[in-house]
Amino acid sequence: MANKHDKHHRKGSCKRNKIKKILDLDKDTCPNREQRANGTNVYYGKASELLNDAKQRNIRIPDRKFQQSGGCVLNFYLSNRVTTIRDAVTIFNAPVGCSAGSLGYRELYRGVPESLGRTNEYNSAWLTTNLQQDDVVYGASEKLRDAILKAEERYNPQAIFILTSCTTGIIGEDIEGTVDEVQDEVNAKIVPIHCEGIRSRLVQTGYDAFWHAILKYLVKEPEKKQEDLVNVASMLSYTWQDRLEIKRLLGKLGLRVNFIPEFATVSDFEQLSEAAVTAPICPTYTDYLSRGLEQKYGVPYFLYPSPTGISNTDEWLRNIAKYTGKEDEVEKLIEEEHKIWVPKMNAIKDEFVKLRKNGKKPTVLGSLGQGRLVSQMPYFDELGLATPAAMAQDFDDLLIDELEEIIENNGDFQIMVNTFQAAEQANVTTNLDPDLTLTCPFQGGTWERDNNVTRIHSLRGDPEPTSAQSGYAGAIAFGNFLLHAFKNKSYHKTLAEKTEKSYKDWWYEQDNPLYYLNEGK
Amino acid sequence: MTCKKALENKSGILTNVENFERDSVEAPRYSCALAGVYGTTLGIRGGIPILHSGAGCGVGQLFGTLYAGGESAGGNEGGTSTPCSCLVEEHVILGGEEKLRNLIESTIEIANDDLFVVTSGCVPSLIGDDVDQVVDEFRDKAAVIHVNAPGFKANSLEGYNLFWDAIIDQLLPDDAGDIEEKTVNIFGIVPYNHVYWKGDLLTIKTLLESIGIKANIIFTQKNGLDHINRIPSAEYNIVVNPWLGVRAVEKLKEKYGTPFIKFPNVPIGAKQTAEFLRKVGEKLSVPSQTVEEFINQKEDWNYRLMEYPGDAIILVRPNSFYAVAAESSYAIGFTKFLANELGYLPDIIQITDNPPVEVRNEILDEIKNNLDTVVEPDVVFEADTYKIRKNLEDRPFLFLFSSSIESPTSIEDYNALHIPISYPIYNKSVLVKHYAGYDGGLTLVEDIVSSFVGPL
Repeated sequence: MANKHDKHHRKGSCKRNKIKKILDLDKDTCPNREQRANGTNVYYGKASELLNDAKQRNIRIPDRKFQQSGGCVLNFYLSNRVTTIRDAVTIFNAPVGCSAGSLGYRELYRGVPESLGRTNEYNSAWLTTNLQQDDVVYGASEKLRDAILKAEERYNPQAIFILTSCTTGIIGEDIEGTVDEVQDEVNAKIVPIHCEGIRSRLVQTGYDAFWHAILKYLVKEPEKKQEDLVNVASMLSYTWQDRLEIKRLLGKLGLRVNFIPEFATVSDFEQLSEAAVTAPICPTYTDYLSRGLEQKYGVPYFLYPSPTGISNTDEWLRNIAKYTGKEDEVEKLIEEEHKIWVPKMNAIKDEFVKLRKNGKKPTVLGSLGQGRLVSQMPYFDELGLATPAAMAQDFDDLLIDELEEIIENNGDFQIMVNTFQAAEQANVTTNLDPDLTLTCPFQGGTWERDNNVTRIHSLRGDPEPTSAQSGYAGAIAFGNFLLHAFKNKSYHKTLAEKTEKSYKDWWYEQDNPLYYLNEGK
Repeated sequence: MTCKKALENKSGILTNVENFERDSVEAPRYSCALAGVYGTTLGIRGGIPILHSGAGCGVGQLFGTLYAGGESAGGNEGGTSTPCSCLVEEHVILGGEEKLRNLIESTIEIANDDLFVVTSGCVPSLIGDDVDQVVDEFRDKAAVIHVNAPGFKANSLEGYNLFWDAIIDQLLPDDAGDIEEKTVNIFGIVPYNHVYWKGDLLTIKTLLESIGIKANIIFTQKNGLDHINRIPSAEYNIVVNPWLGVRAVEKLKEKYGTPFIKFPNVPIGAKQTAEFLRKVGEKLSVPSQTVEEFINQKEDWNYRLMEYPGDAIILVRPNSFYAVAAESSYAIGFTKFLANELGYLPDIIQITDNPPVEVRNEILDEIKNNLDTVVEPDVVFEADTYKIRKNLEDRPFLFLFSSSIESPTSIEDYNALHIPISYPIYNKSVLVKHYAGYDGGLTLVEDIVSSFVGPL
């Protein structure tokens, strides 16, 4: 174990200097992921080949002839995060449909009981400029102004976020011009975020656009260093229990967590510059913020690993400890925690051994986001599951080192990169036929199959301890959760039998998920 | 509760029929035109939307239309399975027509569907793609239509009207062919946006079957395209909404001469259902004896059932004020049922679907002239969630019938029990539940009494 620890042990950003780029926070927005990190969401093949392509900057995003609605820079990655910020109001500068998904956010968070730390003061208020035909002809700056003033009058918020849309992008609205004019009339800090759906093929550009605006408009110059404060950018794909587990572990080290952006207050953003370190839950998500905070305020960061699985959690804690002067305490904590959790982990591993057929480890397919890919594969290995293939929503050169390391440790594997392309995923799942598929259930009937299926993760407001995935408690909870998937497949099996398949038979019978590419990979 | 104050204000109906919402607005209870076409298409078995739009429009409506419509998964054609041209900047510059051409062609190849609904969003409209021309190339290969539905053109409910415009103008033949007697088509129930669409449609079908009329409800039925193709042969069209589907039945009258029967709402409970059946029966020459026998038989058991919760209602929540904030059709139907069958008192009715100004007086009259109580409610047309909530403050109502947006805080904000009836409804899995017909009214009574009942 000691050797393995050393191997993973990193000095945060040091190894990453070779791809370090200076962020230009004077600009209205960030560069797209395509430009900043050579990203793609179209790939199927050997991970080693993808790695080589990435190293040679030979990654491209060819157009698919058949494509499915996998999300844009605004929807749903960005809008569902911004609208949870507690003392802010969000304005969608858009036609009325771009914000419809936000109708559920007020309810969502209310599902967390107050006894678990959810604040009662929470409205998740948002407006839409409700652009009409006339507005796209004559311009909509008056409507944006009107919406800002309404937001101020109704809620007196600390911040007003403006989310742009395809329509405002194409008609050339001068958002900053309007903001400059109206900022003096309101107390709230106005924060425009450029998330026009058409700006990028990679939805992850939305993360960067958001953090760019946070760094540009909300983060304050540090008044004092808070040596015990750890920034953690949490994804909505991590549950409430994950937050509690992270808080518990860091609390035992005498540290406090500054969770952003979900359910945060504006002052939580303002103090990002005062923290001791920025720690990841998902590196692809946190990257831009982490680099920006280091560049502008000298806040150190690390991007790997995330606290998924026992050994990843050990290393995650050690990394944090290094920046907070808790090196001795952390070893004690890890030892204490291992006494509690390692026996439980071993019991789960024994269960998975029992599930082996002909001595072979059960295979699992499924991943979500390159961030999960690099942190979950070692965790599956820890559990005794084999991952002959992986699916990632995106890939870019921000995580080259981690991919290389995984290939070194786990051997080469097939990798599919796409953002919610249901047909491609259905093809791969059918052809590889893993013992367990982890699905993100947004994609029709592709989870209906005569084998084991479960979700890849729960979401945000879920307060149930069995839904956790982070830290030690999450490693055990998720392991047990995965075991459940092997115990009853009647729901998806019955539906596979009784309902029509999503696509025509020929689609499943041929083995190239990228059949509809205009050009080869 | 300032019951007295509110009653003093009830000298006349407060309303604002001219308040059509085009301004910036807080959390309105509808989505955009594209979303309405998307949801409507997904309501048809074998229908598949092909979105010519940015990449987020489909997944955005998974959350904003399908989940909001009673927590429905997308199925084989919805959510992230929906074909989409996923337009980005280079298409804005170079045009998106080639991308769309490839997408239609591949969708026809891969999808297990037979009605292809090309739905143009904001981007192609702004960049001037000639979508009709691209769609024309496929018309002899499959049933393909184009609905031009940019989000800035109209809201999701009007999207339902746009869908029918396209079906009638582009797909249905010029001649009706043979008319089949005692058949009707049902319009005015919008999939997902009318959250209880599945159960309401099937209930109307069953009710009409009971008096010898075959109803083509189109949605929910296997082989949806066949049902669409059968539309011209109906003897009558029926619309159960003051404004949705109305243009469709008018167009069908113009095209085929099919007469229509218009109801302002989905019939909820025994009284409205009897009225509905009598009127349809009369128009389609069903012997009145047949209709009356059916109504009598249903009413007999319906009203025996209504006696069971009597002690609970009278002891715990009799003659309670109620507030409604809902789409036009349900706002009318619920307000009438609660006032006319349960003895409840209408406090404020807010119409949230932004109906055209021309039909607002009709809606107002329907509510105003059909309540069996001396209490006259305020009837307000309001799309803005902040204002909807403000309008609910300081009033005597004990029950709130609205979207699930108010669910978590209805007690703390208004001291009112909450029952979700109108889009968006995220806190109910809606499969067979419905409020139409006899069972629907009884279901509503169950919901209401269950919200307060305990050991007496």
